[in-house]
Amino acid sequence: MQVHLVGAHNRRQYADLLEQNHRLRHRVFVELQGWEALRRPDKREIDQFDGPDATYILVTDEGELVGGSRFNRLDGPNLLQTVFPGLVTEEFPAPPELGADWTRFYVRPDRREGRRRAPESAALFCSMMEYALSEGFSFITFVSTVYMVELGVAMGWRIVLLGSPAKIDGKPTVAAWIEVSEAALASVRRTTGIDRQLLPHGTRTPLPSSGLSLPVTS
Amino acid sequence: MNTDLMTTIEAIQHQSVGSAILDILFQAVGRYGFDRFIISGLPDRGQDVRPFVLLSGWPDAWYDRYTALGYVHLDPVARHCFSTTLPFEWSRATYDPESDLPAKRVMDEAIDFGMNDGFCIPVHMEGGMQGVVSLVGDTRALTDHSRLELHMLSLYAHGRLRYLNTSQGDPHRRRAITAREAEVLKWAAGGKTAGEIAAITGLTERTVNAHCMNAQAKLGTKNRVHTVVEAIRHKLITL
Repeated sequence: MQVHLVGAHNRRQYADLLEQNHRLRHRVFVELQGWEALRRPDKREIDQFDGPDATYILVTDEGELVGGSRFNRLDGPNLLQTVFPGLVTEEFPAPPELGADWTRFYVRPDRREGRRRAPESAALFCSMMEYALSEGFSFITFVSTVYMVELGVAMGWRIVLLGSPAKIDGKPTVAAWIEVSEAALASVRRTTGIDRQLLPHGTRTPLPSSGLSLPVTS
Repeated sequence: MNTDLMTTIEAIQHQSVGSAILDILFQAVGRYGFDRFIISGLPDRGQDVRPFVLLSGWPDAWYDRYTALGYVHLDPVARHCFSTTLPFEWSRATYDPESDLPAKRVMDEAIDFGMNDGFCIPVHMEGGMQGVVSLVGDTRALTDHSRLELHMLSLYAHGRLRYLNTSQGDPHRRRAITAREAEVLKWAAGGKTAGEIAAITGLTERTVNAHCMNAQAKLGTKNRVHTVVEAIRHKLITL
């Protein structure tokens, strides 16, 4: 199993894998989980947050895509504040420059069958925290069912709600943020049994040209 | 949003032992009209439930009876958890009182212990493991909104307890040294003497030595060099 960090600096060389990602996302989020608003006739799940600023963590096994996640910086356009503003009533814990929004987390469905724990999801959780630390983020936001919050907390993460839970498409849904820290990386590694760095070393994505990631003075 | 829910969740997050969550939860579920609760995994048929219990806010007499007699395998509420992901009132866990006498016995005895009604939150974990948070009390005043809040609160408590339960006795946790001990060991690793470390850190030489001795005790090491080596090996300090 291999973990790839795909951003503006290397997305051209990952064109094929990104295309697989859009098709697999359609299968998972539309056809299996029933998010009808995301359905597209070409069966590629893609939205305005898949632009050049998006960063992806993709997991492959023998060259095949088996899981993925997407990240958008919170000082740029992001799904949380555009699509789910109603779920967010609380303040971020730090300026938006220090956070990213985590979306489109999935593991290819057949990889979950009959297993006590999908190693793909463990790899995604660990590499998410590696990525957040390497980028210098202090928090990661997400919108998910309340069940995912239980899973994150059970991995030792500090998760703080950004608003009250609400029913969306019949599912109990909540917005929250995860504290980024070395301790959070240590505990997710301990609970998943992964004891090594998964992201390739030295893959920190270059700073955006807008200069928005300069040190915060306020 | 509901500041009580927010405060409760933060308080649960900050606890490092399960028993400390007991009082927080009594108070929190009390606001929704519940006075007792239990948080537990559900064992496979025939297995003892006791190793699966994460936190009991049940009356002792009922807990002892329920666990000793294997009632978890007869209880229609526990059984119903396997068939839904959404929270439900106990009364929704139906059974046939004519043919299912064991289930009727559990429910009747619960009533004898003053547990007539309740709200149950199933927890489905990765790999098909099953858990439950069961709240005891009158459910008639619950609204859609309070049901959602209880769902979130219960899953949060379950997740935190599950984490504390699995990390207890973890050798890496017990090994942990304080930030100040780590700082002193880092200087020692760089070849500094206790006197030099004292001058750099502004501590007294005696305090520097005390930090080293404490770290040595925690790591089970024999001398200063051994302590530094073990601290590096376990990534407690990075140079």
